[in-house]
Formats: sequence, C-alpha cells, structure tokens
Amino acid sequence: MSDNGYAVVSQRLTKCFGRKVALDCVDIHVPVGSIYGLVGPNGAGKTTLIRCLLDLLRPTRGSLTVFGCDASRGPTVRRRIGHVAALQPMWEWMRVRELAKFMSGCYPRWNADAVSRLLDRTGIDRGARIETLSRGQRTLAALAVQIGHDPDLLILDEALTGLDPLARREILRSVIEMMHGQRRTVLIAGQDLSDMERICDHVGILVEGRLVVEAPLEALRLRTKRLRVSHAPDTQLSTPAGATSVERGLRETRFVLGDGADDVLHELRAQGLQTDADDLSLEEIVVCLAQSAPAGVG
Amino acid sequence: MFDPIDTKSGLPFYRQITDQIHRAVAAGKLQRGDQLPSVRELAMQLLVNPNTVAKVYRDLERDGLLRARRGQGTYIAASASSLAERERSRLIAEQLEQVATDVRAFGMPSESAVDLFRDILTNGRTAKEGLS
Repeated sequence: MSDNGYAVVSQRLTKCFGRKVALDCVDIHVPVGSIYGLVGPNGAGKTTLIRCLLDLLRPTRGSLTVFGCDASRGPTVRRRIGHVAALQPMWEWMRVRELAKFMSGCYPRWNADAVSRLLDRTGIDRGARIETLSRGQRTLAALAVQIGHDPDLLILDEALTGLDPLARREILRSVIEMMHGQRRTVLIAGQDLSDMERICDHVGILVEGRLVVEAPLEALRLRTKRLRVSHAPDTQLSTPAGATSVERGLRETRFVLGDGADDVLHELRAQGLQTDADDLSLEEIVVCLAQSAPAGVG
Repeated sequence: MFDPIDTKSGLPFYRQITDQIHRAVAAGKLQRGDQLPSVRELAMQLLVNPNTVAKVYRDLERDGLLRARRGQGTYIAASASSLAERERSRLIAEQLEQVATDVRAFGMPSESAVDLFRDILTNGRTAKEGLS
C-alpha cells in the first residue's frame, strides 16, 4: 500500500459533536520519519484528531489515512500505532514485568531489548505494581510497552503534561532513542511547547478545530519575526498587512509577522525608523496565532 | 563536553550546535582525530531532534571540518589553524552584532565603543573591574 512518504494524511477531516464542530476541514500531513508536534490551546481538537486516528471516533466528513490505509480499517492499522496518553487507565494490580509480558503476547513483533533499555535507564522496578508508581513512572512504563511492540507510528497525547522535568527528559530521551535510524514517526500532542520545540521537526497548530499552520518547525521559526520599531512618543504606526499581533507602547511598537517580515523591516528602516527583528519561540508563535485566529468556527 | 541547548536564545538549535563545534575547534578543545558522540548519543544528551544533529554533522563534513568513517563514527578532520579565517570572523561578528545593537540603542558614539573594545582586548578589563 503506497503511503507517499506520509504516515498520516487527512483531507477535509471534519468531526462534529451535535452542533459543535471539533475538527473543521483539517488537512494534516505527517511525514514518515518526522517528530510532529500537534499544538494548540485546550479544546482545539488535538485529542479528537488522535481519537479519529485510533479509530475510537469516526469522522463526520473527510478522509483520514494512516500509512495509506483508512484509519477505520481496524486492527491492521491499529497494530502499527503505539499510543501513550496522560493518565491513561492501566491494570493497576499488575507488576511492571507482568505488564510487559502480557503486552508482548498481544503484538506480533516484540522488542524486549528496547523495553529493558528504557526500564534500566529510568530505574523503574520491574517488580513494582503499577498502582505504586509515581505519575512519571507510570507514563514511562506505558511508553516502555508501547515502544516494545515496535510501532511505526507512536502517538503521545499530552503524555508530557504535568510531569516533573526529570520524567519529561526521560520520555524525550526514549523518543529520540527509538527514532534514530528507523523510519518511525512520532506524533506528539501537548502544551509543553519548550519540550516540543526541542524535539519536533514539524508542527501543526490547531486553533478552534482548524489547522491554521502546518510547516517544518525550522521554516516556521525562520519566517515568523517580531519587529520592534522605535519612534517618537505617540506615533501611530500603521499596521503592516499580515501582522498577527500588535503591541503599541509610548516609544516602541511591536509587530509579529508570520511572513514577509524582511520586506516590512526594510520598508520601516527606509522610513528612517530604527527597527530590529527578533526570533520567536514556538510558544510565542502559538500564542500569536491563537489570538489572531478568527473567532467562531464553521 | 557539549553545553546544554539554550532554548531561550532564539538562535536555532542547528546554529547552536554548529557554533559549539566550531568554537571548540577554534579554541583547541577539539583536535584533529578526536571522536564526536554519535548522532543518537548527542541528540539524547542535548535533547534535540536527531535529524538536527545529523544535519549538523552532514554539513560540517561537507565543509571539511568533520570526517565520518563508515560504521566507526565521526571525527574532527580539521585543526584549529586550518579553520577558515572567515569562520572565525563569523563567530566573533555574531557576538559583536549583539553588542552593536546595545551600542546603538544607548546612543553611544562608535568611537567610544571601539575604544572600549580595544581597551578590553589589550588590558583584558572586565566590566566588573571597570566599575570598581
């Protein structure tokens, strides 16, 4: 089955819950081998999209394919996906080693070495019952068994959210370890933008059910700039076309531009205004886009 | 040996890792024949996307600073003296550009700024000593 180099592709994917439009004509493209960050405010539709991917929800309209197969094709597709969610239910009474043994029987491929490596590195006691593990350890144990079945696509749904820095580092490390040299794909949905900025090479930004941006992270960072313009007190600079955020101060005005910042920069300097351009963090980019998105959906 | 990535600086991680290797070679902390960590090791250490590290290694190999031996790892191929003058200039220029932004913002005459820099270069005077 051809996948055209994409692990996940959707076309005009739409999911409605009654009158509420949770996903609105989303065209997502997750390249094979990428670490794709799906970001956006709470309620933007990230988890709905993932539930569609896992065939826990059926799209209202549009298509969604995983490695070229329709996401609703069931076990053949599902078996290639690993999934770790925040606070996901687990068999509390099981010991870590029993969980690994049980899961190893559910999947055709099992990579016991990868599981051992992760458990050893993170120092999780194989004899401990799941219920006695800390929140970070639970997530790591869940990740270990998901990596164990050698998924082609690993989905982390808010798996980093609310964890201590040490646990987050270990999860990021494990993702990097399983990624390298493999044609594996990771889809991370979450709010921890500084972590995602580290390891993601592609991002999709969902705002109110719409995918407002999808780009390689590096390209997005290169083209999004904040311009700081110094001027005489109380000068009203006109807002450049395409500015996603404007802050007006007494002697300084700041614009965020998603594109064409260089042209505006030159133009302002040509007018004799002292202007500097700053790079933005992923967090700042998301905040600007979320604020500038048109209110209401549909 | 590698410093943590600075996520606040706004400088792309690719640039930060490349600059670190350049600086280490220019300062003699990495010398010809020294082995670098594998792509996976360095990505895990710095917590960055392995493709970023792979691209750094690939581009530095193309520039002749690194040499990859198949299945054996990546090594420093260039010595500090052979590091192109223009590379060294670029590293210094990048830092001076930041200083220049402040000089302009403070309205300091260029001559005073240059004098100050010359003074620091010859006397090694730090800002702290200058204030006391």
